[in-house]
Amino acid sequence: MNSSTETSNGAGDAISVRAAELFKEQQQNIIRHTDRIFSWLMPCQWLASVAIALWISPRTWAGVDSQIHPHVWFAIFLGGAITSLPVFLARTQPGKMLTRQTIAIGQMLMSALLIHLTGGRIETHFHVFGSLAILAFYRDWRVLISASAVVYVDHLLRGFFWPESVYGVLHAPIWRSFEHAGWVMFEVTFLMISIRKSLSEMHLVAERQARLEAVNETIERTVAERTLALTLENTERQRTEEQLRKSQTQLAQAQQIASLGSWEWDLVENRVTWSEETKQLYGRTPEELGSPMEHCLKRVHPEDLPRVNQIMAESLRTHEPFVCDHRVILPDGKERVLQGRGEIQLNGEGKPIKMFGTVQDITETKRAEDALRRSEEQLRQSQKMEAVGRLAGGVAHDFNNLLTVIEGYCGLSLQEMKETHPLYKHIQEILRAAERASSLTGQLLAFSRKQFLQPRVLQLNEVVQKMEKMLRRLIGEDVELSTVFDAALGRVQADPHQIEQVILNLAVNARDAMPRGGKLTIKTANITVDQKSSFRNRVLEPGEYIMLAISDNGLGMTDDVKSHLFEPFFTTKGLGKGTGLGLATCYGIICQSGGDIRVYSEPNSGTTFKIYLPRTDAVPEPAASSDAKLIPGGTESILVVEDDSAVRKLAVVILRGRGYQVQESNNAFEALELIRKNSRFDLVITDVIMPQMSGKELCDQIKGQLPQTRVLLMSGYTDDALAHHGILDEELSFLEKPFSPARLARKVREVLDAPDVPGRFHPNGKKQTPVELVS
Amino acid sequence: MFSITALRTSLFALWLLAAGGGIVVISNYQDRQGSVGSTPEQWPAVRQISLNHDHDTLVMFAHPQCPCTRASVEELNRLLAQCRGRIAAYVLFFKPGQLPGNWTKTDLKQSAAAIPGVTVRDDPDGMLARTFGAETSGYVLLYDPRGRLLFRGGITAGRGHAGDNAGENAIVSLVAGQSTSLQGTPVYGCSLLSQSCSRRGASQ
Repeated sequence: MNSSTETSNGAGDAISVRAAELFKEQQQNIIRHTDRIFSWLMPCQWLASVAIALWISPRTWAGVDSQIHPHVWFAIFLGGAITSLPVFLARTQPGKMLTRQTIAIGQMLMSALLIHLTGGRIETHFHVFGSLAILAFYRDWRVLISASAVVYVDHLLRGFFWPESVYGVLHAPIWRSFEHAGWVMFEVTFLMISIRKSLSEMHLVAERQARLEAVNETIERTVAERTLALTLENTERQRTEEQLRKSQTQLAQAQQIASLGSWEWDLVENRVTWSEETKQLYGRTPEELGSPMEHCLKRVHPEDLPRVNQIMAESLRTHEPFVCDHRVILPDGKERVLQGRGEIQLNGEGKPIKMFGTVQDITETKRAEDALRRSEEQLRQSQKMEAVGRLAGGVAHDFNNLLTVIEGYCGLSLQEMKETHPLYKHIQEILRAAERASSLTGQLLAFSRKQFLQPRVLQLNEVVQKMEKMLRRLIGEDVELSTVFDAALGRVQADPHQIEQVILNLAVNARDAMPRGGKLTIKTANITVDQKSSFRNRVLEPGEYIMLAISDNGLGMTDDVKSHLFEPFFTTKGLGKGTGLGLATCYGIICQSGGDIRVYSEPNSGTTFKIYLPRTDAVPEPAASSDAKLIPGGTESILVVEDDSAVRKLAVVILRGRGYQVQESNNAFEALELIRKNSRFDLVITDVIMPQMSGKELCDQIKGQLPQTRVLLMSGYTDDALAHHGILDEELSFLEKPFSPARLARKVREVLDAPDVPGRFHPNGKKQTPVELVS
Repeated sequence: MFSITALRTSLFALWLLAAGGGIVVISNYQDRQGSVGSTPEQWPAVRQISLNHDHDTLVMFAHPQCPCTRASVEELNRLLAQCRGRIAAYVLFFKPGQLPGNWTKTDLKQSAAAIPGVTVRDDPDGMLARTFGAETSGYVLLYDPRGRLLFRGGITAGRGHAGDNAGENAIVSLVAGQSTSLQGTPVYGCSLLSQSCSRRGASQ
């Protein structure tokens, strides 16, 4: 209360002070304004006095003589003197007391002058009263007092010295001077009353103005504070809006980069709004913004639309977020895969009012996933093949050793036995079974691409022609075999036996696909591949190829069957009717030969397998003339090193049977000991894979000690295994297991008879590059 | 600061002195009397004007170009208005012989002629003025019907100053038959005769 009272008093004092200031200011303005009035009025009066003098009494006469009337000089000089100082002060020092007092006195003196100049006319006396009234403009009673004093003094002195000029009589009492002054005071009194009232009003106005200013100041301060607050708020809002715009821009950029758009569905008004990126993803136009959801879903692929609707309806029912991958068809016809995510916003009553979410272009992701899936499938397939290959390779060694022994002893038995012998046919069956087992082992190695290939330059027309008779017999009479050969067919480099195996497998499959007969067509052609061509993740590089197409008009295959076609152990022939290795073997052989095999098939429309092998310009070698019946022999000294005793003994028996001097050893260390004791061995035949020391290491040591001793390596292992032991890196003589007695005898003779450096690897009696072997 | 104030005060005092002095000078000038010649106590024998034997006869001498005489004519008008029917009045305007006739045809002369009961006459070369001893414009003489001089002087309070004055009041009283001790007042106006005229008249 006290503080408010003090504040009120303080404000009142301030207003009073301000009111006083305003009053003084206003008073000064009035005084200055009045000064200006007199600064113009007095010169005018002066000029008027001169004009009056010139008009009323221009000249004074003496008979006919005349001269300028003294009144003219009085008007000029006395009037000028009276006017000069007041005007000077009014112009140079307006507002000062001295100025207005001088003006008041001067104005009254000017009245006196004018009265004189006009001959004391009563009308001129009005100048006195008019001047007093004008002096009252100052609203300063002091100037009226001064002016009145001048008038009175003038009147008093004139009445005293020149009474007749004032009173019209030669002698007048002193009191008559008050008569004139009385009228002056009469006016001055009312002027002063008026001044007082005017000043009072000025005080009131000043106070009101001071109060108004105080109120204005308060208002302006309040306005300034509000304006400042608003400015700050506005600045803050602008900054926030700028940040928002920046964030929105960043969000839009992020959405654009991520191909991620946002959308919002007002469930109450069924209006959908979306971001720029969503518009791009759905191929929307700006006019469609705010359209109903049904309209927005028009771009969804028709096959996906029911699922999308179902997912969204389920989300609306359960209020659970959802994720929905779907395809959209853009206006340009392109198809994209989008992943939509959405959530439900509920109101206070738990009812859904809004659905909002994102949509992301996952087309590339899907493609990558598909590619990854295919890669994984391929990897899985490769791993499967690798596993099978490992299995095949693993069993091949022991299996081939067994088969070597079986085939060897069967062969020896048949050589020493007449055909009439009761056991001859039994042994022949054993031998055939061993050969089939050997073939099976070869197939296992073939589809796993671990087959030991012996490529040659081939003309596929010739290969097929050689097989035609056998194929006709194989496919049966109800299947027609037709061949279409390209007369200018180029050559390929491949293992002829493996190619025959491929053709045989495909022909058998074709026959099985035509249980009621049909037509099998084998066609060859030169093909030029202009650009990279992919199939089953294999890429066919541009170049010249030889195509071998084997077609049937049988049952054909579904896509699912086609997708598993070349997998090992996959068969549609039913249990016991197929091994599932045929097409896998074909695929492995062709791929290992640097080619590709492709299948074109539709259910009930037949199947065509097209084999592409790189064309070669190499010239085919003439077929080696060999007498199959002739089994060569010799007398040279041979050391057989083999850890498998059965194989070793078989080899020893075969070679001794051919006249060679043979010693045997079951490991490399023992062999080296024998060699040290008897350095006359012409040939060392050693298994490659042996415990403690491999055949390759043994070979290296023999070459170090006995450079002239020739070495023949033998193995039933795969090429990978041989490569691991460095066999394929060098040109070493090699004999593949299983072998027959004749093959062993011929190989041994071949190595011994080789004219060049002994120990060369000549699987077919000629040089072969490691690359060809590996392929 | 002090010097400026003193300067102001001095300036103000000087100004006040000059202006007041000027007012005093002009007041003094206003009250400066004109010269008066020897006026005959008995109506002289002149032909241009004649004495009225029934009423008092008033004669005013005026210079036609004198600005101060305008007040005298005005006062004459007032005076005659008070004495209408009891006084005969002449206003004699100085007329130098060597100047054209229109020199005397002034507003002043017309104003005088317009006053009822006033007879305006030219006074060639100031002959009558010299006869009556009038040397200053606005000089008024009053003779009774028997030709005796009752009053002489001016009928303005000052030079060119209209308004109540002692001369006018004296004439009104004399015409009314009342006695007055005042038989003469100062006269304010231009000289009727130039120096050369005066000398010539004096010599005549």
